[in-house]
Amino acid sequence: MTSPFTKAVRPLDPRLLRYAHAARRFLLVGALLGLAQTLVVIAFAWLLTRAITLTVAGEPLRTIMPTLAALAGVVVLRSALIWLLEVAANRGAAQVKSQLRAKVMAKLAERGPDWVASRQSARLSTVVTTGLDALDNYFARYLPQLLLTMIATPILIAVILSQDLISGLIVIVVIPLIPIFMILIGRVTQSVQQEQWQALQRLSTGFLGVVGGLGTLKIYGRERRQFDRIRSITEEYRTRTMTVLRVSFLSGFVLELAASLSVALIAVSIGLRLIDGALLLGVGLFVLLLAPEAFLPVRQVGAQFHAASDGLAAAEELFAILDDETTPAISRADGAAQAVQFGSGALLLDGVSVRRGETLVIDHVHAEFPPGQLSVLRGVSGVGKSTLVAALLGFVPFTGTLTLDGVTVPAGATRGWLAWAGQRPGLFRGTVAENVALGAASADHTGLDQRLVLKSLGWAGAAEVSPATVLGVNGEGLSGGQAQRVAAARAIYRAISTDCHVLILDEPSSALDSAAEAGLLVGLRRLADQGRIVIVVSHRPAVVAAADNVIELQELAHV
Amino acid sequence: MSEATLPIPIGDVLRLAQPRPRWFVPGLLAGIGSAVMAVALLACSAWLITVAAEMPSLAVLGMAVVGVRAFAIFRSVFRYLERLSSHDAAFRQLAELRLGVFRRIVPIAPAGLASTGRGDLLTRLVRDVDDLQDLPLRVVQPLIVAGTTALLSVVAIWLIVPAAGLTLLVCLLLAGILGTFFSGTLAARADRELSPLRGALADEVLEIVENLDVLTAFDALGPRLEQLARTDARLRKATLRRSVGIGVQSAVVSLFAGAATLGALYFGVPALDSGGGVLSPVLLGPTVIVAVLVPMAVFEVFGMIPLAGSAWRQVRVSATRVAGVVPATVPGEIPVDVVDPQTLFTPDLTRGPVVLELTNLGACWPGQHEPGVAGVTLRLAPGDRVHLAGPSGAGKTTLAQTLVRFLDYTGSYRLNGVETRLLAQREVRRVVGLCEQRPWLFDDSIRQNLLFARDTATDAELDAVLARVGLAEWSRARGGLDARVGERGLLVSGGQAQRIALARALLADFPVLIVDEPTANVDSVGADALVRDILTAAADAHRAVLLISHTPVPDELLTARVTLPARAGTHT
Repeated sequence: MTSPFTKAVRPLDPRLLRYAHAARRFLLVGALLGLAQTLVVIAFAWLLTRAITLTVAGEPLRTIMPTLAALAGVVVLRSALIWLLEVAANRGAAQVKSQLRAKVMAKLAERGPDWVASRQSARLSTVVTTGLDALDNYFARYLPQLLLTMIATPILIAVILSQDLISGLIVIVVIPLIPIFMILIGRVTQSVQQEQWQALQRLSTGFLGVVGGLGTLKIYGRERRQFDRIRSITEEYRTRTMTVLRVSFLSGFVLELAASLSVALIAVSIGLRLIDGALLLGVGLFVLLLAPEAFLPVRQVGAQFHAASDGLAAAEELFAILDDETTPAISRADGAAQAVQFGSGALLLDGVSVRRGETLVIDHVHAEFPPGQLSVLRGVSGVGKSTLVAALLGFVPFTGTLTLDGVTVPAGATRGWLAWAGQRPGLFRGTVAENVALGAASADHTGLDQRLVLKSLGWAGAAEVSPATVLGVNGEGLSGGQAQRVAAARAIYRAISTDCHVLILDEPSSALDSAAEAGLLVGLRRLADQGRIVIVVSHRPAVVAAADNVIELQELAHV
Repeated sequence: MSEATLPIPIGDVLRLAQPRPRWFVPGLLAGIGSAVMAVALLACSAWLITVAAEMPSLAVLGMAVVGVRAFAIFRSVFRYLERLSSHDAAFRQLAELRLGVFRRIVPIAPAGLASTGRGDLLTRLVRDVDDLQDLPLRVVQPLIVAGTTALLSVVAIWLIVPAAGLTLLVCLLLAGILGTFFSGTLAARADRELSPLRGALADEVLEIVENLDVLTAFDALGPRLEQLARTDARLRKATLRRSVGIGVQSAVVSLFAGAATLGALYFGVPALDSGGGVLSPVLLGPTVIVAVLVPMAVFEVFGMIPLAGSAWRQVRVSATRVAGVVPATVPGEIPVDVVDPQTLFTPDLTRGPVVLELTNLGACWPGQHEPGVAGVTLRLAPGDRVHLAGPSGAGKTTLAQTLVRFLDYTGSYRLNGVETRLLAQREVRRVVGLCEQRPWLFDDSIRQNLLFARDTATDAELDAVLARVGLAEWSRARGGLDARVGERGLLVSGGQAQRIALARALLADFPVLIVDEPTANVDSVGADALVRDILTAAADAHRAVLLISHTPVPDELLTARVTLPARAGTHT
C-alpha cells in the first residue's frame, strides 16, 4: 500500500516546466483535450436531458431516435477523448522523465565525484531511475485532473449559472470549501504525523530488523522470542498508523460530503421549484446532470493527491540537485577547459589547503615529487591523504599553488598530465581489456592497444589476468586483489598511452599478498625509470621500503 | 533452489494476507453501504425532479427530499467508516502475515535464504510481505463492493424495465471482462518489453554514478553519458509505442457506460406504453428516468474493478516472490533437528572444556551442485587460537556456517566426541558461536545490541566488555550504552560493528568462537589493529578461537595456522 502520509507540496512546480520542455507541451495538449472533454460532457448531459424530456412528454421512440443517435456519437467521442488524454499523459511522462534524467546526469558530471560522494550514490541512482517513475502517476492521474479543474469546472459552472442561478450559486459556494477543508485537515494530519513520525519510522523497519538479523538471532538462540516481538511491533504500528489515518481520511470524507451534499441540495431546490412551475423539467435535469461533473475534477485531484505527491517528492529531490549551486563546477576534458602542456620537471605543492565545509582538512601542505622517483605519501588514517589526491585530481577545490615543471596547474586545467587509481577499483562491465583501456578505447574498440593492455597488466603485477575475461557489475568475476591490480593497470595504460607525466596510486596494494605487491612495485619502478613522477599513497612496509622519497602527511589538531 | 525443495503454493501466501471475516466484514458492509448510497442518491434525485415536474402535492415529495439528503450524508459517512475499518483489518492481519512468513523462514535462515541473495533482496522480501496488505484493501474489497452494488442495481432495474436491466448486465460484464483483459494483457506485454530496458538503464546509471571519479579522471564520462542517452532513448521510444494501449481500458469502460444509458432509453421508452417489469406493471415517466440514470452511477462505482485488476497483478507478483523465498520443505542442505527425542542426545556441553573435531568435513549450499567446502579435518581445543586462511572461494565462510549448524555436513563434526548431527541445533549453538562477516546490528541502543547475548548482564559488565574490545572511548564519546547504532548499524563503521559483534560473543561466552572475515568491510589501516584486538580480547584459557581472515596475523597471537586449498567452484 502507498504511504498514508501526504507531504506538503505545490500542485504544479514551475521548475517542472523550466527543466522539462515536454511538460509544457503536455500542458498545452492536455488543456485542448480537457476543453474538448468538457464540451462533450455538456453535449452528453444536454442530449440525455432532451431524450428524457421527450420520453416523459410521451413521444414515441421514432421521434427520439435522432437524439439517441447523436447521444451514441457523443458516447463514442467521449470514450475516444478519455483514451487520447491518457495516451498524451503517458507520452508526456516518458518524455519529461528522459529530459529530467539527462539534466541530472549532466549536473552530476559537472559537479564532480566529490559532490556525488557527499550524497549517497545509491540514493542518487534511485532518484534518477525508479524515483522518476513516480512521475508516471503524477502525469497520468493527477495533472489531467488538475487541468480539468482549471478548464472544465469554470465552464460547467458558467453553463449551470446560465441555466439556473440558484444551482450555480450552490456550486460556487461549495467548490472553494473543498480545498479550504483539505488544507485545514492536511495541517492537522501533518501535526499528528509529526508526533508519530519517529515511532512509525522505527516500527516500519522493525520487521526488517528481525528478518535480516535472523542469522544473528539464531546464533544467540533468540529466534523463538521474536514471535512476540513481531506481534507487538506490528500491533503498535497498527495503532499508531490508525491514529494518523483517522485524521487523514477526513479529507476524503469532506470531498465526498461536499460533492454529494451539494448535488442533494441542488436536487431538492430544483424539485421544489418544479412544483411551483418556476422551472422547466429540461432545465432542472440538465443542471442536475452537470452538477456532479463540476465537482468530479476537484474530487479527483484530491483523491489522486497521494499518487501525485510521491511523484512530486521525487521531482523535488531532482530539483534540489539541479538547483544546487553550492560548489563550483569541476573541469572536464570534454568541457571547454583549457589544455596545458607541461614539461618533465617535478610536481610541487606549495601551501596547499583544502576545506570541507568549515573544517580545514589539509593545512598548507608543502611537498615536492621529483621526476624519475617513486614517492610514498603516508600518514595515519583520516589525515587527509585521499583528500589531497582528490584535490590534485581537481575534484576538490583547494587554495595554494600546484606547479608541474615550474608551470602552475590552473584550477580549470584538464587532467591530461595525470593518471590515477583510487582506493576502490571502480571497474565496469565488459572485458578486462576494455577496463584497462578506459577513456582511450571507444565503444567499437578502435584505439584499444592489445599489446599495451598486456604490458600494463604485467607491470601492475596482474599478468595472470586474461584481458578477455568478461567482468560483471563492479568488476564481478575478479578477486579483490585482482580488481585492485586491474585498476592499477588501467592507470598505467593511461600513463603510457597518453604520456601522462604523473601517476598517482591510492592504496594500490591494500588487498594484495606480498608476492603480488612485489610485482606491482617492480612495474612502478619501471614507470619511474621512464622519468615519470610516481606517487603511491600507502602505509605498507614493502611499499615504503621501495620508495625513493617518503612524504609524511601530518595530522591536523582539530578543535 | 534444488529439485527437492518446492515453493509453497501462492494460495497459502494469499490466505495469510486475507483478514479473518470478523475483522474484514464490517469494512466490507460499510463499503457496500457507501456504494449503494451513491447509486441511490442519483436515482432518488432523478425521481424527485421528474415527479416534481408533474406538480404533485409537497407531501409526495417529502420522502424523496429526506432520502436525497440522507443518501448524500450516509454515502460519505459509510465511505469514511469503510476506509478506517478495512485498513484496521489489513493492519491486524499484517501481524499474522508476518508471523506466518517468519515461522517458515526460521528453520532455513540464514543459509537457506542466502541462495536467494543479499541484503537488498531481504529488504525486498519484507516489503513484499507488507505489500500483500493490498490484497484485502485493493483487490478483494473493491471487487466485492463493486460486484454487489452492480448486481443489486441490475436486479432493481430489471424489476422496472427487464430489457434495460439485461442491457446493463451485459454492458457491465463486457466492460469488466474487456477492461480487465485489455489492461491485463497490454500491461503485461508492455512490462515484458519495458522491464529489460528499465533494468539496463538503471544498471548504467548506477555504474556512472558510483564510478564518477574514475570516469572523470579517465576522461571517459562523455562517451558514457552518450551511451546512457542512447539507452534512455530506446526506453523512451518503447514507452511511447506502448502508451497507445494504456488508455484503452478507461475508454472501454466509458463506452459501455454510455451504451448502458442508451440501452435503457431505447428499451425504456417503448416500455412506457407496453408496461414494465414486476415492480411497476404500469410504467410511469419518473420510474423510467431512474432506470435511465442509474447505469451512470453504477458505472462510477464499477470503475473500481479494473483498478482492482491491476492491484491484483501486483499482489500476485509479491505473493510469487514471497512463495519463492519461503520453501514448503527445508532443503536437504539445511540441517533439521532429529525429531525423535529418544535419539536426541543431550549431554550438557556448557560444563567443562569443549573439544571440536572435524574429520573430512564437507558442506553444500542449497541449490549448489558443487560442495562449498570439502575434506576439512581440524581439531580445536580450549586455549587454541587458529588462523584459517585460503583463497576466496575455498569455502571459509561455508565452513563457518557449517560449524554453527546453519548448513548440514558430510563427514564428521564432533563436540566432545558426540556427532553434532545427533544434537539439537540450539545445543550446538550454545557452545559454538560465530561473529558473522556482516554482523547484524539492530536499530536500537548499544545496550540492547549487547544484552540479547546475555540479558542478565549489568551495565558495568557491558562497559567492561566494550573496553575489552577497544570501544570504551568510542562509546563514552557517543553518550554511553544508550547511543543508537542506526538502521542496520548505519551510524557505526565496519570495524566498530565487528567490535560490537565481538563484545556480544564475549558476553555469551561461547567455549568455541568463530570469527568470519572481520576485516572484510574495514580499511586496510584499521584491519591489522582489528585482527590483533580481536585475538587479544578473545584469548582465554577455556576458549578456542577460529579466526577466518585474509589479513595477515602475527605469529605470537596464534597457536596454529590452517590453509584451505583453492576449489574449482566459488561461493563465498
